[in-house]
Amino acid sequence: MEIRESSANEVPLLILTGRLDGRTAPILEDKISSLLATGINHLVFDCSGVDYASSAGLRVFLSTAKKLATAKGRCGFAALAPNLREIFEVSGFLQVLEIHPSVADATIS
Amino acid sequence: MIMPDLTLTEEVVLLALDDQTGAALHLPYSALSYGLAGAVLADLALAGKIDTDDKSLSVINATALGDPLLDPWLSLLAGEKELHPVAYWLSILSQKQREIEQPALDRLIARGILRLEDKKILWVIGRRRYPTVDGHERTEVRTRLGRLVLGEDLPDPREAILIGLLCGCRITDNIFPEPEFAARSDRLATLAKLDLVGREVAAATSAAVDALASARTSAMTHM
Repeated sequence: MEIRESSANEVPLLILTGRLDGRTAPILEDKISSLLATGINHLVFDCSGVDYASSAGLRVFLSTAKKLATAKGRCGFAALAPNLREIFEVSGFLQVLEIHPSVADATIS
Repeated sequence: MIMPDLTLTEEVVLLALDDQTGAALHLPYSALSYGLAGAVLADLALAGKIDTDDKSLSVINATALGDPLLDPWLSLLAGEKELHPVAYWLSILSQKQREIEQPALDRLIARGILRLEDKKILWVIGRRRYPTVDGHERTEVRTRLGRLVLGEDLPDPREAILIGLLCGCRITDNIFPEPEFAARSDRLATLAKLDLVGREVAAATSAAVDALASARTSAMTHM
């Protein structure tokens, strides 16, 4: 999995590409922990390049959203690739997470 | 985190006992065996030992945890060369209910959470029960999970898994009997499906219950 850090409309953005599984999830988790430690309260994931997420990957997403919600912040998931959207649908993540059609929507809404 | 010292397996064992008497709750056929099997898999997943998706379960780190409750099962999973779906492993582990449950009960007693009570009938052991010592662990879990169900907060992954397991083996019917929870059944269902293992436990339990009902119907019609 490739993880690129960027920003859009001054909102921190993580652009993810590839497979998010039990081996790559801890790497993403470390990256997120570093970002959260800087005190950010809004984070957006660009998920257009994520073609697979296992349970371990989904737990990283849920955990991040929970941490930001607890801190009265926000966590957006933008531009879900079709496979990931299907996984989110089956697991109910579409119902509990903040989902956006695009990064632009996620960072301005 | 809910009671970080307890494994999910211990929490499921604890919540599967009646508050007042310490007797096993009346759960549907095979429900607890699948619930405990799922709890073991979930504990191993949270420890970073296994990963799952809708097609298979894979061991990503076979190094023992040093936890006698979980290591035998990690070893069993790691010893299999072929990949199998979660449902396969639930089926295998559900046959080990006693080997999973008894060490968890023993540890809950050693921690001072449960006590062993043997009721003797005609001077022989007739009934073994595990009442809680003061009940606060169970109350804490119920309060935290209840707040999640009745509110709109996101669960953390561990809370989501526990709700999935408890729903999957239908313990939630016992620990949330109040009408306000019935009114939040959609919310409970949403939370329960956030984790794959909980969904698979629910599917396995439903299949076992349906199979039993079908076998009974068949037996009745052939009488």
